[in-house]
Amino acid sequence: MAQLTATTGSPSRSPVEVVIDRIWRFFCSVRMAVFEIALLALLTLIGTLRGSDVPQWIADAWPFTQPLVDRWYAWDVFRSPLFASLLAIIAIAIAVCTINRAPGIWQTISTPRIRTSPGYIDRAEVNARFTASMSAADLEAGLRSELKSRRYRFMTEQVGDQIHFYADKNRWAKLGTYPFHLALILILVGGIVGSMFGFRDVEFAVAEGETRAVGHGTDLSVELVRFTDSYIQTGDAQEYRSDVIIYDGGTKVSEGPITVNHPISAGVATFYQASFGISVDMVIKDATGAELYNQPLEVGFFNLRENPDAPAGLIRLPAQGVQVAVVAPDTNRANRPDLDTLQLANGQVWVQVSPLDANAGGDTMETAVLDQGQPQDVAGLNLLFERESRFTVLQVAYNPGIPIFIIASVMLVGGLAVTFYFPLRRIRGIIQDSADGGTLMMTPLAKRDWGGKREFFALTRDAGERLGAAPDVKRPDDEGNWDHHEADDDTR
Amino acid sequence: MDTLVKLSFYFFAATSVALGAASVCYIAYAIGRVRVRRATLATSAGTTVTSSSADFAPGNVSFGQWGSLLTWFGAFFAFGAVLFRTIAAERLPTANMYEFSLTFVLAITIMYIIFERMYGIRQLGAIVMPIAFGMTLYIWSLPADMREITPLIPALQARPIMTAHVSAAIFAYATFAVSFAAAVFYLVKKRWGIRWLPSLEVLDDVAFRAVGIGFPLLSLVLILGSVWAHDAWGVYWSWDPKETAALFTWLVYGVYLHTRTLRGWRGTRSAVILLFGFAAVIFTYYGNYFFGGLHAYGGV
Ligand code: HEM
Repeated sequence: MAQLTATTGSPSRSPVEVVIDRIWRFFCSVRMAVFEIALLALLTLIGTLRGSDVPQWIADAWPFTQPLVDRWYAWDVFRSPLFASLLAIIAIAIAVCTINRAPGIWQTISTPRIRTSPGYIDRAEVNARFTASMSAADLEAGLRSELKSRRYRFMTEQVGDQIHFYADKNRWAKLGTYPFHLALILILVGGIVGSMFGFRDVEFAVAEGETRAVGHGTDLSVELVRFTDSYIQTGDAQEYRSDVIIYDGGTKVSEGPITVNHPISAGVATFYQASFGISVDMVIKDATGAELYNQPLEVGFFNLRENPDAPAGLIRLPAQGVQVAVVAPDTNRANRPDLDTLQLANGQVWVQVSPLDANAGGDTMETAVLDQGQPQDVAGLNLLFERESRFTVLQVAYNPGIPIFIIASVMLVGGLAVTFYFPLRRIRGIIQDSADGGTLMMTPLAKRDWGGKREFFALTRDAGERLGAAPDVKRPDDEGNWDHHEADDDTR
Repeated sequence: MDTLVKLSFYFFAATSVALGAASVCYIAYAIGRVRVRRATLATSAGTTVTSSSADFAPGNVSFGQWGSLLTWFGAFFAFGAVLFRTIAAERLPTANMYEFSLTFVLAITIMYIIFERMYGIRQLGAIVMPIAFGMTLYIWSLPADMREITPLIPALQARPIMTAHVSAAIFAYATFAVSFAAAVFYLVKKRWGIRWLPSLEVLDDVAFRAVGIGFPLLSLVLILGSVWAHDAWGVYWSWDPKETAALFTWLVYGVYLHTRTLRGWRGTRSAVILLFGFAAVIFTYYGNYFFGGLHAYGGV
C-alpha cells in the first residue's frame, strides 16, 4: 500500500486510485493529526466547561449569548456523534499512519543508508574533522571502539578510497511511538467492548438477610449477612462495610466484606460498595389473619410529601387495592430532624394506608404510628413493624474491556518512556587516507536537536583523546548562548 | 495543633520567604541592567544638547547565584514542611488544597533545580520561581483549618494508587511550569533577540524535555486516576469535569508534541501551544473552584 503514496501524478491512474490516494494521505498527514487532536481538545474543553459555571458567567456578562449558553449546557458533548466520529477518525488516522510509516522506519533500523558525501558533511551546521598521522584503517578502529563504548552501532561501506560510515544509538526507540499510538486505539476499543458486552448496575440493593439475583444473563446472587457503618467524631463516615456471600448457580463462590475501594470479584462480575440505607421489616395481615407481606422494606428511595427528608418506602398490595407508605425516623442530623412534622422516635414508624387507585377518593386514607413489635389495625389491615435493619447498595459491574485497558496502559506509558528517554542519535562520516596520514570527517543528524549536538561534541572530544588528534569542530553560531555559566564570565 | 504540624507550617513559611527572595533575584538577573549613556554635544550655535540613551546589559551574575542559593533554601524548607507533615499524618500530604499545594511547591522547586543544573541556565527561574512563590501566597490565602490534619473520607483511602496518582499530577504540573517558562523566553528571545538569554535551540530543548517528563506523567495520572475511580466507584471514566479537564491538558500537550515535528510549526507556534498548555494546567489545578462532581471533596 505504500506505493500509493510513492507514486503521485502518474497519468495512467484511475480516478478511484486518485481518491484513495487522497484519503490515504489525509489520514497519514501529521498536519491533519494536529488539526484533529486540536479539535478533540476543543470539544473536550467545551464539554468540560459545560460542567462548570463558566458558560453562565459568559451569559451574565453578555446577555445576548444566553440562548447559545443554554444550548451549550444542553449539549452532551462526550456522547455526541461529533465526538464519536472524531475519535473514529483519529483511530483510523493512527492505524493508517502506522502502516504507512512502517517500511521507512524499518529501513532506518535494519538497513540504513551508509553512503554520504563530503559536501553534505561540510555544509552541515555542525561537524568535526580529525587529521591524524595514522592510516584510515587505524582511525576507523579508534572511532569504532569509541562509538562502541557509547553503545553505538557502527556500519561502514567502502566507496572508492573512502570509508563511509553511519553510526546510531537507540534505533529501536524509533518504534516507541507504535505501542503508544496503538494503545490509544486499544483504549477506544476497550471502551467499546466494555459498553457493548459489559453491564453495570449502580443501584443493586440487598437487605440484611436477603439474597438477590444479579441478572444480566448471569447465575450470580448476593446474600447480605450484615451491613456496618462507622463514623468519626465529626459525623463523617469512616467505613461502610457489607459482609456478603456470593453464589453462582446456588453454590457459594465468594464471601467476605466489601468496603469502599475494596470490591469483591466473583464470576464475571465485580461488586462495589456504593451506599446503604435502612430497611424496616414489615408484616402485614388481613382481617382473617392471612399474611399478605413479610419482608424487609427498603426505605430511602422514596419520599413522602408530608415529610420529605425522612426515609420512606411503599408497599403495594394490588389484591387488596391498597398501598402502604412507611416512613422511618430521620436520623441524618444535617436534615434537622428536630423540625420534622412527624417527630418519630427510634423504634417507631409512621404508616399511611391509601387506595392504589388515586381517584378512589381521599377519605379512605388512614395513618398511624407503629411501635416496634406491637401490631396495630389500620384500615382493615393488621400491620406489624418487626425491627429495623440495614440494606446495602452495591454496584455490580462486568467490564470485559479491563484486560484491554491494562495492556493499553502499559503500552502507552512504556512507549512514551522509550520515545522520550532513549533518543535516537545518528552520525554520518567519511574516513580516508591523506598525504600526512588519515582524515576523518563526520556530522551528527541533529538538526535543531540540542541534546544530539551536545552529545556529538562530547563524543568528538573523547574520540580526539583516543586518537591522539585534536578535532577541528564546526559549532553552531549561537552556541555561545548554550551554557550560561560560561557566558556569565564576560560580564564580570 | 500537633508539634510536627506546626513545625511543618513554620518550614512552609520559611519556604515562601526564600522563594519570594529567589524570585526577585532571578527576575533581576534575567531582565538585566539598564545602562544609561549620556552624551553632551556642542551645537554650532554654541549651546549644548545632552542626549541620553539607555540600553540593556546582561544581569549581574551574582543575582543569578543568589537566586539559585535561595531556591535551594526554598527546596530544603519545602522538603522539611512536606516531611514533617508526612510523619504527622502518616501519609503523603496530598489530601486537600493546602497539602496538595505544599507538595506542589516542593515538586516545582526540585524540577526547576534539576533543569537549572542540567542546562546551566538560570533565567528560567525568573518565571518558575514566581509561579512557586505565587503558589505559596495561594497557600497563605487558604482557610487556616486546612492546616490541620483530618482523616480521609472512605473514597480517598486507596492509599498507594491515590498517592501515586496525585504525586504524578504534582510532578507533571511542575515540569509543565518549566516548559512554560522556556516557551515564554523562547518567544521573548525570538521577538527581541535579547543577547544574553539562552539560545532558541536550548530553550526549545528545555521545553521539549520538560514536556517529555510531564507528558508521560500526565498519562500516568489519567491511567491511575481511572484505576482508582474504578476501585472506588466501579467506573473507569465518568466524564467528570476534573477528569476531562486533565484530558484537555493532555491533548494540548499532544498537539504540541506533534507540531514540534512539523516544519513551520516547530519553534514559535509550538511555544505558543505551550502557553495554552500551561493555561490548561492552571485551569485543571484550580478546577475545583469551577466544578462540582466527584472530585469536589478536594477541600475547597
Ligand atoms: C490523528 C492521529 C495521529 C497521527 C497520524 C499521529 C502521528 C504521529 C507521528 C507520525 C508521530 C511521530 C513524529 C516523529 O517522531 O517524527 C507522532 C508522535 C507522537 N504522537 Fe501522534 N499521532 C496521532 C494521534 C496522537 C494522539 C491523539 C496523541 C495523544 C495526545 C499523540 C501523541 C503523540 C506523541 C506523544 C508522540 C511522540 C512525540 C515525539 O516523539 O516527540 N498522537 N504522532
